Amino acid sequence: MESYEVAIIGGGSAGLAALKQLSNLGKQAILIEAGKKAGTKNVSGGILYSKKPKRGRAYNVEDVYGSVFLSDAPIERRITQYMLHATSGNKVFTMDLTAAHEYQANFGYSVLLGKLNSWFAKQAGESAEKQGGGIVSGVHVRSVSWQDGKTVIETDELEPFEAKAVIAADGVNSEIAEMTGARNKFTPEQLYQGVKVIVKMPEEIIEERFGIGQEDGAAHLYAGDVTLNHIGGGFLYTNRDTLSVGAVYHYDSLMQRPAEPYTLVNALLKNPMVAEFVKDEVAVKEEIDRNLPKEEQLRVRFAVSKLVKTWNELRDAYHSPSARKRLVEGGKYKSEEEIKARLDSVRSELEGKYRTKFVTDYVELEYAAKLVPDGKRCAMRKPYYKNILFIGDAAGRGVFIGPRIEGLNVGIDDAVRAANAVARAIDRNDFSSNSMGEHYSQMIEESPFTRDMKEIDKDYLKIFLDAAKDVPKDIIGQRYGMVFKLMSSGTLRGLAVGFANILGYDRLLPLVESEDTYVQVPIELAEKMGRPVAATYEPTLPTIAQRVAQLKYDDDRISHIKVLDHESEFMKKMVKLCPTNCYSMEDGEITLQHEACIECGTCAKETEWRHPRGEKGVNYQYG
Amino acid sequence: MSDLKIAVIVKLEPDFSEGNVSYNADGTLNRAETKSILGPHSAVASSAAFYAKVKYGARIAVTTMGPPIADTALQQAQLLCDADELHLYSDRMFAGADTLATAEVLKTGISKVEGGKMDIVFSGHRASDGETGQTGPQTAWKLGFTFLGNVIDYNVDMQNRVVRARRMISLQGFYDVIEEVEAPLPVFIAIDPSYKASFNTVSQRLAFEKYQKEAKERAQNYKQYLKIFNAQQLGVDPKLVGLPGSPTIVYKVERIPKAKASRKAEVVDGSSRDQIAKVAAKMYEVLGGMVIK
Repeated sequence: MESYEVAIIGGGSAGLAALKQLSNLGKQAILIEAGKKAGTKNVSGGILYSKKPKRGRAYNVEDVYGSVFLSDAPIERRITQYMLHATSGNKVFTMDLTAAHEYQANFGYSVLLGKLNSWFAKQAGESAEKQGGGIVSGVHVRSVSWQDGKTVIETDELEPFEAKAVIAADGVNSEIAEMTGARNKFTPEQLYQGVKVIVKMPEEIIEERFGIGQEDGAAHLYAGDVTLNHIGGGFLYTNRDTLSVGAVYHYDSLMQRPAEPYTLVNALLKNPMVAEFVKDEVAVKEEIDRNLPKEEQLRVRFAVSKLVKTWNELRDAYHSPSARKRLVEGGKYKSEEEIKARLDSVRSELEGKYRTKFVTDYVELEYAAKLVPDGKRCAMRKPYYKNILFIGDAAGRGVFIGPRIEGLNVGIDDAVRAANAVARAIDRNDFSSNSMGEHYSQMIEESPFTRDMKEIDKDYLKIFLDAAKDVPKDIIGQRYGMVFKLMSSGTLRGLAVGFANILGYDRLLPLVESEDTYVQVPIELAEKMGRPVAATYEPTLPTIAQRVAQLKYDDDRISHIKVLDHESEFMKKMVKLCPTNCYSMEDGEITLQHEACIECGTCAKETEWRHPRGEKGVNYQYG
Repeated sequence: MSDLKIAVIVKLEPDFSEGNVSYNADGTLNRAETKSILGPHSAVASSAAFYAKVKYGARIAVTTMGPPIADTALQQAQLLCDADELHLYSDRMFAGADTLATAEVLKTGISKVEGGKMDIVFSGHRASDGETGQTGPQTAWKLGFTFLGNVIDYNVDMQNRVVRARRMISLQGFYDVIEEVEAPLPVFIAIDPSYKASFNTVSQRLAFEKYQKEAKERAQNYKQYLKIFNAQQLGVDPKLVGLPGSPTIVYKVERIPKAKASRKAEVVDGSSRDQIAKVAAKMYEVLGGMVIK
């Protein structure tokens, strides 16, 4: 049997950081990824932060990958505007929370994990190769077991092999955690369900619309009636030439009032402010005249498709400084004016010859969903089992404080700590839980993110109070009036936060994260203080079938999910809560059609849930 | 790195994939208009050689006989198998060669690589333009190597220097019979088109990634690995190559008569619901007895 020092299971941003860090430390490590290649199974909101904690230290992405990260990595835009909007109908009340976004942060970049993780994989893979390790993709780990003092890893694709230490980075639906019994499956109270669509938009139009510079980005968050009375909210982040628009909701809130995840995204997209943000010029093809001869119909169809494609590509290029430069320098066009002229001529040809219409609408590129662990409620207290160390989502470590969500950087920080613990274990040749596991657990305890998952930070709280200082107290209402009064004085705030922290998140959370704070107060705010916003068009929302049709799958004919109880209350709710409508009800029984599954794990709690075999399942392009 | 030495013989062929072929009015191939690429069977042979690279760290030389532009076939093969050397045997004297004369050139060339000490020579099943499937076996015969045809899987026992291969054959009227054979090195393997390499250990997967990356880099600079030999450099006997060395002559090519279709097609315009319903009804009728769940 082949033997390796370290096996990392899962090639998301946490697993890849562990591989890179171990390689940086001169240790041999292999990473096993189920997807066709790293990045095809990952989804994030997503903003990647680099943290500058008040106390202690954080291991950031640039610590792992070096300065080349900022100069070379395919990151989207540095978020410089961070706005929270309370919505009700066509009214919106806005608070600037840029200070909260910048709090304890070196930077926060919008990212798309498809691109970013594949860059991480290239960097980490090259470093690992030098140490005799590397990335093995398209392989799904089936089991980890201990035989005669050896840790044996079995997969669906390869011969079993041995590893001295294992780092489990297999995400929120960690099979390693479940099969070893290291932790229970997460419950709805501990999770958020996030659903996101990628919206296409040319680069300079983004900059103009959001009032940002070439390198800058904006983040807009939404609470109020867009939530359809659920606890959570919507978000819109600007990427280089796309927008990430999504909704993140407390899973238990969705359980109480089941709503299809896509209706929540649709509610957000229909909000007039968001609709205006995503709008773009879209070519609508004219129906082909069926009386024409067959060959002519075909010719027209091809010609129109080709022209529309040219128009789209050219328009994207025309609105991107780098692409414009490339086209002119590459000699394809003599000047930028010539590109514009060509663009106009393609358009008028489409309009004149083929009666193509150009309308205001928006274009979706990809639909995605993911469960997000709320670290406050589910972080593993001791994130290890025997010689397996759990990192990132697999350990339930995500930070949700107010509107700020951190997960990618938490996973990277965990990864470095785990890699350091494993490196020391290799040097001492001691991989026991008492030594390696405890050492890692101790380092996790020192992580500033662990502190964020346990305590309220009074300075962070002050930023919110400052942002809300113009809000009349009567709106915030009797319920919170006292709290606000107490919190507005520095000394009292210190005392109050101290007291709150004694109470602990367990008792505080039901108060802070409630329908009141996410829905009622924002609605009231918007109605009483909001400014009216009007949409100039009505967005054409794709159906879920259209969204699924756009995704790329490599279908495994064997379902990776087995329904255990076809009549349970939980499973009945999946008919609504599955983001891609995989469940349906027939004669009082739940049936599953796994083909459209995007592997979010929403149904995992009461099913036998596995990731698909190597290379199978969904392949995200953007992530 | 083991001491396993491999040669692959490949051929530059017209690209018969859809949209790339062009025909003359009389139905013959328009060679000037049709792009040439590495033949599909040559590609399979290259992949089979790559398996030995990944698994045994073999040294690979890809060889071909053809005009100077045949170097693109070598480049494409290098991308598939991370070849260490590319050999092109090119001389006007070779023109008009049949399979036997081609085999003579290939044999002479292969005997020159690595001092003539080859362990395995791979060829494709046949060429997509000639389809005779003779060049491989004839080269094997000239080299004096054991010939294994229709190989769908092979492994090398490095210690005993033995090849174990599985062959897809037909036996007493049964098709798709798999025969397992063992042969001492050196051998000549004509690989079956259905061959697909599988790598089932972590170290093989890591090596696969490593060599695949190396192959990409090498193929970008393939000229560094390319050696071109003319007849004189090879030292072939002029009587055995080109037209003089070719006992077969193609004097006439006939079209294969079109087979009569046994199925009947009915064209349904899918623009209206009624028409779609008609299709559904037809399908229902055909699938009648089946239960779809």
